[in-house]
Amino acid sequence: MGKIIKSVVCPICGCLCDDLEITVENNEIVKMKNGCAVCEAKMVHGYKSEERILEPHIRKNGKLVPVSMDEAICKAAQILTDAKYPLLFGWTSSSSETQHVGVELAEELGGALDNCCSVCHGPSVMAIQEIGIPTATLGQIRHRADLIVYWACDPWSSHPRHVERYTAFTEGRFEKSEFKGYVQKLKAQASQKKVALTMRRTQVRYQQADSQAATVEAPPQSLIRAGRKMVVFDVRKTMTADVADYFVKVEPNKDYEIFGAMRCLALDQELDVDVVGGVPVEYLREIVNVMVNAEFGAIFFGLGLTQSVGRFRNVEIAIALTRDLNRKTKFVVSPMRGHFNVTGANTVFAWQTGYPFALDFSQGYPQYNPGEFTANDLLRRGDNDATLVISADPGAHFPKSSVKNMLKHPLITINPDWNAISRLGDVVFPAQWCGIEQAGTAYRMDSIAISLKKVVEAPKGVPTDEEIIRQILEKVRVIKAQKTEKVEKLDDFGNKNIAGGN
Amino acid sequence: MITLTPKRIFDVPIQAACISVDVFTGKSVEEIKNLLITEGKETITLGDAFNVIEDSTIEMPTVVLTGDFSKVKRVGQGMKTGEIIINGDAGMHTGEKLAGGKIVINGNSGGWTGCEMKKGLIEIHGNSGDYTASTYRGTSTGMKGGLIIIDGDVGTNVGCYLQGGTIKIKGSAGRYLGYHMSDGTIYVEKDCASRAGAFMIGGKIIVNGVMELMMPTFTIDGIKPKVKIDANQNAQGPFYVFLGDLAEHGTGKIFVLKATNSALATYEKFL
Repeated sequence: MGKIIKSVVCPICGCLCDDLEITVENNEIVKMKNGCAVCEAKMVHGYKSEERILEPHIRKNGKLVPVSMDEAICKAAQILTDAKYPLLFGWTSSSSETQHVGVELAEELGGALDNCCSVCHGPSVMAIQEIGIPTATLGQIRHRADLIVYWACDPWSSHPRHVERYTAFTEGRFEKSEFKGYVQKLKAQASQKKVALTMRRTQVRYQQADSQAATVEAPPQSLIRAGRKMVVFDVRKTMTADVADYFVKVEPNKDYEIFGAMRCLALDQELDVDVVGGVPVEYLREIVNVMVNAEFGAIFFGLGLTQSVGRFRNVEIAIALTRDLNRKTKFVVSPMRGHFNVTGANTVFAWQTGYPFALDFSQGYPQYNPGEFTANDLLRRGDNDATLVISADPGAHFPKSSVKNMLKHPLITINPDWNAISRLGDVVFPAQWCGIEQAGTAYRMDSIAISLKKVVEAPKGVPTDEEIIRQILEKVRVIKAQKTEKVEKLDDFGNKNIAGGN
Repeated sequence: MITLTPKRIFDVPIQAACISVDVFTGKSVEEIKNLLITEGKETITLGDAFNVIEDSTIEMPTVVLTGDFSKVKRVGQGMKTGEIIINGDAGMHTGEKLAGGKIVINGNSGGWTGCEMKKGLIEIHGNSGDYTASTYRGTSTGMKGGLIIIDGDVGTNVGCYLQGGTIKIKGSAGRYLGYHMSDGTIYVEKDCASRAGAFMIGGKIIVNGVMELMMPTFTIDGIKPKVKIDANQNAQGPFYVFLGDLAEHGTGKIFVLKATNSALATYEKFL
């Protein structure tokens, strides 16, 4: 009989569900209760992967060779100190304690520091800096929101328990769950399908609505009822859209125009056009009416806004719409953050340096400019001359041109398993799984700090990424001190052949 | 005249705000060579990275940069007088916060060129990057005065938070042209991408080519035969005149050439 650990926090997505029940037998997770399928994939199976890195490696003659930890730390510190402009990238699947040391390392090295949010919700952060954000914690939304709008995101697939824990299907203090209604809807759909099947069998020709080609349907009557309502805006009919009361199919890259039109309608302005982004203005007017009549509305937006044409401007106008709606009712907006501690990376970087991502320490003080110091832009231009990747896999997710430039220079990786970037590294460190083998702090998508638990012991000899970064930092300081000593001795004797230090 | 040529190809970005006429004035070549710049994290002198040659017979232009300067950032930052000519590509933040004088770039220019500029002239005989004549992140004070002429195309967010001055683009413009502008003029000789003038509350944008898509938050105001760009130049129409951004209660104007934009003819029914 294994040991049952309750209230374990799931280290996968920004939801950070904290109600998991884990059964541990012989230092192995064998069972998990309450979590979603994604959580089960990592916590019960994924972390035991055969592809686990168990010892540090250094590339010698083109081949990765296992080495001692000390040798790997020395090599990594030497690479980073020799580089004129190193880039430290990743951080979002590490604990906040690791991120904290990471900022210290970047400052010591005078390099660029960026986290994965530059390729996910960085634009949201930039938009917030431009215009501010009226937001609320997920707890507030759970208990009070009667209108949920999911814009350009598919939580049913990406954050599977978001709808169940925080929005439409949760039993709030003031708002009831809509789950029963959804089940009834499913039953009705099932009987509709039966009828359709019978009709097809009897070869009766009928018009079936094609979900891909269908134009937007008129808002249903159910949007006017009391209780929780869910509206989904997306470019295709997602699984979340199947659950929703109303789905609006938006033309790709036209979200900005639709937000603009909705802002005008919310401010009682007349529009000269009849259709915006594939949606008739009439329908938009009805949706805006529903929004204005809501008692507490919440907009959640995903990468469909931040990574499509317009990027942070899309988010900016979404926030502007929320601001306009707040003149008439209560509305909040919140990003659907991806990695479990990407919000933490932003928070930690911001309280350490003043800026949430895209940082540069080359001048001795932090500079901030997305587009100039963001990892992808730096790599694409080939500006940096060494890279450290921690708890991220740009090898699998960055464009070819960026990865090509990254591989022209030394690459250090710190990851628990052999992912694409680890295989390409020159110095490869093993690391513990944060939230499974290592405790720490992570920030939920609404910037609430939550403590991650340690549930099993890591394999022998595998340190935490915090320890590795701390050791590299110490070694870098030693090498720098030696260099200064050398320079001082040169000054004393004026002879270049006398070398100081070891 | 002082000529700077790179000694080598630069791997990492160089930040050299000291390459400015104001800083060079009154200094000998040796003193200029000893000015400090950074290459990545390393502090080096100007003489380490560039050959510095003085030709005392020629007075104007004051500084000439010959070669690839695309990795050299902040050239002419905050400059008040004099003239810099760059014979090659210029890096980011060239002419940032320019308060006078002239910068000529005989090549392409990086992002944030002429950002938060107050006075003076920047001529770019090539393309210019994103955020030309715009703001620093998070601030709402853009270009306040002066003139920027670009012979080629420009990227996105050009002239955002524009508060004065003129931008003349002889090529095409990217998205979010004149975003949140409150005053000043932007003239685009060729095509303009979507979302031009979003959030604008004043000023004018003139598009002489095809407007990809008009923001729905603009309303048609009339048709005008001719529009003034600046004291020396008018644009020949007729132009559709759009007023907006309605969502911001703005009174900015976008002039779009009628001849090249037949798609906008549907707006004529409101006139």
